[in-house]
Formats: sequence, structure tokens, C-alpha cells
Amino acid sequence: MNLDIKHLAKLSRLTFSPEEEAKFEKEMANIVAMVEKLPDLDASGALIDPDNPMQMRKDEVVNQPNRTELLQNAPEVQAGCIVVPKVVE
Amino acid sequence: MSTMELYQLTAEKLSAMLANKECSSEELTRSVLKRIEQKEPEIAAYVTVCGEEALKAAAAIDAKRAAGESMHPLAGIPLGIKDNICTRGVRTTCASRMLENFVPPYDAFVMEKLNAAGAVMLGKLNMDEFAMGSSTETSYFQKTRNPFDTERVPGGSSGGSAAAVAAGEAVAALGSDTGGSIRQPSSYCGIVGLKPTYSSVSRYGLVAFASSLDQIGPMGRSVKDVAMLYSAICGRDNHDATSALREYPDFAKELTSDVKGLRIGLPKEYFGEGVAAEVREAVSKMAKELEKMGAELVEVSLPSTDYALSAYYIIASAEASSNLARFDGVKYGYRAKDFANLTEMYEKTRSEGFGAEVKRRIMLGTYVLSSGYYDAYYKKAKFTQLRIQQEFAEAFTKCDLLLTPTVPDTAFKLGENVDDQIKMYMNDILTVTVNIAGLPGMSVPCGFDSKKMPIGAQLIGPKFSESTLFRVASAWETSVGGFDLSRTLA
Repeated sequence: MNLDIKHLAKLSRLTFSPEEEAKFEKEMANIVAMVEKLPDLDASGALIDPDNPMQMRKDEVVNQPNRTELLQNAPEVQAGCIVVPKVVE
Repeated sequence: MSTMELYQLTAEKLSAMLANKECSSEELTRSVLKRIEQKEPEIAAYVTVCGEEALKAAAAIDAKRAAGESMHPLAGIPLGIKDNICTRGVRTTCASRMLENFVPPYDAFVMEKLNAAGAVMLGKLNMDEFAMGSSTETSYFQKTRNPFDTERVPGGSSGGSAAAVAAGEAVAALGSDTGGSIRQPSSYCGIVGLKPTYSSVSRYGLVAFASSLDQIGPMGRSVKDVAMLYSAICGRDNHDATSALREYPDFAKELTSDVKGLRIGLPKEYFGEGVAAEVREAVSKMAKELEKMGAELVEVSLPSTDYALSAYYIIASAEASSNLARFDGVKYGYRAKDFANLTEMYEKTRSEGFGAEVKRRIMLGTYVLSSGYYDAYYKKAKFTQLRIQQEFAEAFTKCDLLLTPTVPDTAFKLGENVDDQIKMYMNDILTVTVNIAGLPGMSVPCGFDSKKMPIGAQLIGPKFSESTLFRVASAWETSVGGFDLSRTLA
């Protein structure tokens, strides 16, 4: 087992203080040791249920909640638009 | 107690009283709201209580009834809703700082159904953050307590739902179950809880944890109440592509209590050393009682049960790490205050917005899906899932349903397991298989241990066999003269 907490945190877009990181490393090692207990199986069959097939809905335009209601949840709004940090140089 | 208060009664009884005009929905709602006010300082089941809105909705239902309109059996019945189910105009927090101020602009499918039925929403119930936990202790807001013993947890993640129903702070409630989150708290709080067949209840508007395992389900004080609520929320929804294309009966109306000729399987792996002796005895006693009523007991084996917990935590965490990537501080939810650029905004937002358990699951999910590890974890877990499904199918050739304990032991004390994740995860060992296989599972009370805490028995059936589960649960309920909540409803 090779747990690179810093790398995983980066992939997860999370940051940890050095103390948190040490604690997480220990906890994660225990959890990974637990989930490692898996049999070597040859897969046969598929995880679909032929008796209960899925059906996609038609690709139709439907009326959705209005702009004001949607923007109400945005962290920062200006002139009816969501404000984000600069993303282009 | 000589006269029963309205808040103490079942939905079945109240529905009849409302129909016969023996009480109004407004009186009933007032009774439950008063109970909430009285019990909340001790139980802390609700994140949000919508008293005014509930009374308004109740009055509207009373007016409709007075005008002679035909009413749904749940019309005017006050219900609590787990706080990961979107309610238009009422904040839906998932018990997370991330969604502390999130007000959904739409209703979940189940809320559309309940609103159309005229059910009255009392408020939003506490839970483990993003439904990740087995004790409701990971909630950002508060710790809910078990009404049977306030030193103990109500279970989780639907701990607020279970505690509210047991304490009379809701007539019934909705929870959600990804690995046991309806059944385990139902077991801990002495109530009935159903994790329906995957795809029978739409997940539209349920904040996603692990989409292939999540399912919304009913929790109540009687089997009939749970059947009523399940009938009201199941059904096809075009907004959920996994929603099954089928018709459902009225489960409450067709409910019988006859178990003659039913073959009940007892999987030996579910009665092992890890299960407390008192729990094993209580469930075995229930099995014998059902045998006396005409059921046949069959011993069956589910050999891969030991691997279920590993497979579950891999699959659930993998899906969670992907589902929770949407919480980035951009369009909705929490956003950190100071950051230099976009990446820092993401990282600070997520690090401040999520609690420790959610972070552990995201990290685990990221790990098992990451390059070089995918085959060793995720792929293996999916193969194991398939094997578990096959073993259940094999078992169901020998019996009509399975009877097991719901949880290895009764409710533990607050704080007891917070620093030991493995011990906490072990709570789910008897329930995760049901989610992994997409089956319906139900927890029914089956006695008390020497600490006077409730024990739960789990009924598991093939897909879409809810009628059979209700039938067996109802036979058991009748034979014990109803489930005893006299201590928590007093």
C-alpha cells in the first residue's frame, strides 16, 4: 500500500494542515487495510438487470425554475451573473 | 395514560380520524408541533422546523376536506423529511456547512408526490453530513439523541428521522439509505424502516451520495404506516433514468398478515460471532414465532457476506468522490472568503465546507479510482458486487425472503466510536449487502436487550417483493400486539 496523502488531497481539491495530514494518513491507512479484503474473482455476467431496463427521457426542453430563484443560492452575484475569480491571464 | 394525545397515534389511525372528522389536520399538526417544542431541547432531531408553513398547509387541507373533495390517505398527516431531500423554498443542508444556506429552487420527486397527496411537512431532519455515518454525530449542526436513552446515538445517517418518529415529533418520516441509513437508525430507535428496491423510488432531488446505491424510503411506528408512505412515494419518474418502468399496487390496502407457507431463510453468516448474543436470540425468537404461525424456516448461506463491507466502502466512496466534486463554491453552497485564484478558491471552499468524515470518503474514493489502483480496488469491488447478487439470487430459489438481525448490536453511546472509523463502519455489516444487490430491506423492532434498548430484525426479499416484507412484518407486529414505544411517546 502506498498512500500519498498530499497527492490524493491535490486530486480531491482538499488541503490539510500538517497535523491533520498526519491524522488522516493514519486513519486512511486503517480504512484502506479494511477495504483491501476482497476476493480474486473472475467476472462473469454483467451488472445490469434485464428484467428492469432503464429508459432515458425524451430530449425535450422543459420550463425550469426562474433565474432569480436559481441565483439566490450563488455565493456572489453581480448584474445577474455569478462572480468567479479571474480564470484567464 | 388514559387518553392518547394526537401526536402519539399512527398515520393509519389518524387518517381514519381525519376522514371521520374526529380531529382536524390543524389540531393534529398543532399537537405534533407542541411535542417538537417540548422534546427538541433533549432530542435535537430537526435542523429546520417549518411551524407556520405546516399549520397553513394543514388548514388548507382541512378546507379541502370540508368542501367534500376526495382525499389521499396521507392528506393532513404531518411528516418529517430528511435534510438531504430537496424541498422548494425550504433550506436543505445535508447537515453540512457546505449547504448551510442552500434553498432548493425545486422539489424532489418524493416531495411532489407528498405535496400532491396533501401531506403536511413539519421540517427537515438531522443526519450525518451528506449521509456519511452511522450515528448522526457527523452533522455540522447538532448531535441528535436516542429517545430511548439520550446518552446514546439514534443511529445514522437518518438519525433525525428515526428519533423524531420514535419521540412523537413526526407521525412518520422519510429517510435515505445507501448502506443501512434507514434500517440501522430504525433498529436503534425501535421503529419500522424500509429501504425500498433500488429504482422503485425516484432519486430526483435527493442530494447524491452514491447514486447506484442511494434510495429514499419511509420510516414509521407501524408496518401499515410505512406501507402507506411507501405507496405514496414509489413510481416511475422521467427525471431519474434508473427509475423502474412498472406499476405498483396500493401496498397499505392489500396488506395481509398471513405467513402460512412462506419460506423464511436464515443466512448463517448473519448470525455469527460478531453479533451480540441478545440480538441473535431476539431474532431467532422472532423466527420461531413466525414458524408457529405457519412459515417454514430454511437455513441458507451467503458466503461472500464477509467481503460486502469492503466492496461497499469502495463503491460508495468512489461514487461519492465524483458526486461531491460539484461542491466547488462556484454556483451554490459555501464559498471561502480569501483566496488568490480559482484553484485556491476550490481548495479552501472544500476544506472549510466539508467535515472530516466526508473528506475521508472523498479521499478514499479518489484513491480507489486513481491511476494504477482502479483494478485493485474498484474493479474487484464491482466483481464482488456481482458475486453477492448471484448468491442472493441463489438463496431466493430456496426461500421467499431472509430474516437477519439489522445491526450486530443495539445503540452505542455518543462519542464512543467517533475516533474509530472501522468500528463505526462495522455497524453497516449486515445492511450493506442489500444496497449492493439492489434489494428491498426492512427493519422491524423485535424486542429489547438488557440495557432496555431496542433490537431490530431485518427482512430482505428479492427485487420488488415489498408486499411480502410487509406481510411478514405485519404478522410479527400483530403477534406482539404492536411495537412498544410507550417509553418514548410518553
